[in-house]
Amino acid sequence: MEEIETDLENNNTSEIIQVENLKKNYNGFTALKGISFSVKRGEIFGFLGPNGAGKTTTINILATLILPTSGVVYVNGYNVLSRPDMVRKSIGMVFQEVTLDTHLTAEENLYLHAYLYGVLKKEFNQRKREVLKLCELWEKRKWKVENFSGGMKRRLEIARALIHWPKILFLDEPTVGLDPQTRTKIWDYIFSTRKQKDTTIFLTTQYLNEAENCDRIAILDHGEIVALDTPENLKKMVGGDIIIFKTLDNDLAEKEFKAKFPQYKLKRIGKELKIEVENGDEFLPTLVKIITPKIISIELRRPTLEDIFLEVTGRKIREDEELEPGEEEPFNLASLFSLFNNKKNNK
Amino acid sequence: MKQISFLKHYPLNVRIKSLYIIWYREILIYWRNSIKVFTSIFLPLLIVAFLGTGFKTLLPQTILPYDYTQFFYSGIIALATAIMAISSTLSIVWDREFGFLREILVSPVPRSNIVLGKILGATTVALIQGTLLLFVSPYLSIEIQFLDFIKTLIFLIIFNSGIAALGVFFAANIKKTESFSILLQIIIAPMSFLSGAFFSLNNLPIWVKNLANFNPLSYGVDGLRWLILSSSLTKEQILLFTLHPLKNCVFFLIIFDFIIFLLAVRRFKR
Repeated sequence: MEEIETDLENNNTSEIIQVENLKKNYNGFTALKGISFSVKRGEIFGFLGPNGAGKTTTINILATLILPTSGVVYVNGYNVLSRPDMVRKSIGMVFQEVTLDTHLTAEENLYLHAYLYGVLKKEFNQRKREVLKLCELWEKRKWKVENFSGGMKRRLEIARALIHWPKILFLDEPTVGLDPQTRTKIWDYIFSTRKQKDTTIFLTTQYLNEAENCDRIAILDHGEIVALDTPENLKKMVGGDIIIFKTLDNDLAEKEFKAKFPQYKLKRIGKELKIEVENGDEFLPTLVKIITPKIISIELRRPTLEDIFLEVTGRKIREDEELEPGEEEPFNLASLFSLFNNKKNNK
Repeated sequence: MKQISFLKHYPLNVRIKSLYIIWYREILIYWRNSIKVFTSIFLPLLIVAFLGTGFKTLLPQTILPYDYTQFFYSGIIALATAIMAISSTLSIVWDREFGFLREILVSPVPRSNIVLGKILGATTVALIQGTLLLFVSPYLSIEIQFLDFIKTLIFLIIFNSGIAALGVFFAANIKKTESFSILLQIIIAPMSFLSGAFFSLNNLPIWVKNLANFNPLSYGVDGLRWLILSSSLTKEQILLFTLHPLKNCVFFLIIFDFIIFLLAVRRFKR
């Protein structure tokens, strides 16, 4: 495939995705309330938000699958409304749900994709080997996809999306429904892709720990971007590091601390004291010095995205889901063991 | 100007390649599904063998000036291939339900190419079935000249591509395979009853004939009768049970193909 970069003024700017005041309505329901952002060439850009925040809607508009209600969207220098064909050519897409043809083998799925994107046969054979090796599916290339596990399917989809060497790789919740081990593996593939091909990666996720891998994150809530920055900068919004410590005499320790550092907040959580400071690692030795009661334990923690989401939206990211375990009776493993033990005893 | 720049970005050979791969996938899925291949041949033969022989006892050659089995067989080929063509477009709904359609929709392939590829795939599958069914003709003492055989195949393509396009037209907006199969039954049943495959439409009341004039299946059935039975029966005999002359059949079906293809593309684009 030749590189077509004529008749484009803004193809070589550093912004590969530009979105301005994007709105989307579905029969009266507003999914996106006018969001604006831009993605730089070669970066990993994450969209973080709870279910129904508008992540998939945004990714579908960027991939020309649905039309925006209003707003301007440029992908790789092409307007999604006037040149959807060129946008589609520049992107690779991994959908939230599996979009492989399960009747066919892994290799055939790639072959089909290469034909749809007009990849030459010679190039295809070379790239096929490359992407399948990258995703560790080379030995299983003759397998029918219906025999693949969830993680293998996901990997194959990433491999497939890379066959035509897209400028931007879109990943809509690439690790949802996968076990933690596979999840880390998928992330390894995402990183190695970026390194090898200098591909821009745009992904959505609802896992906070995953979003920390991105270069920049936009936090989306109810169709609005509530925060957009690097994970480090976002964490600074919370007010630096968090130190939690426990002493033999907490009252005395609290008094001493407040006398010396009235500028820092100190909270009592149960038998522990929690403080937020700017440079936790440098502050820790001074803290130990000024506190006279014996310190039982001390913990220095960086703020997580969970803290940030709480800060910007005033609620936890997975509030609805976190309630569930409390309502449901937790599965008691011990009762199962006692069942076996009883049987043994009977014998 | 816009046209030229589009051709440059999506050149003709890439277009043909993408068309080929969509077509190829349809054929691959058909061939891999051995039960479907088997029933697509076995069922029509069963109908001809059992139902045809049964009807023949009701209508012996003393009443009819032609052999009912030959009449029935030529009609069933048209009907079986048409049902095959229209039900093959189920793959669009199936692809949508299982997500694969999105993989095609997000690719740079033009929407019209997707529709055309699906139609060509369904037509080819119907053509394979029709060809295999035609090989049975010697056992029913039907003689087909080589030239007529080729003409029959061409006619099958013209006929079934329109029927497949009709299937794509209906499948374009449907999200569930169940609803599509119900819809197919609703479409296929009246169309096949008024196709003339089971009985001649010539002696029916005017209002039925008028309806049949709008039924593409009746043109397909009549056209195939003219071609398949041309060596076995005389022109006068064929005239007894056909509603449309061959020329009209070809003409009607080509126009039908174009209109329904454009409608299907329009609906698929939304």
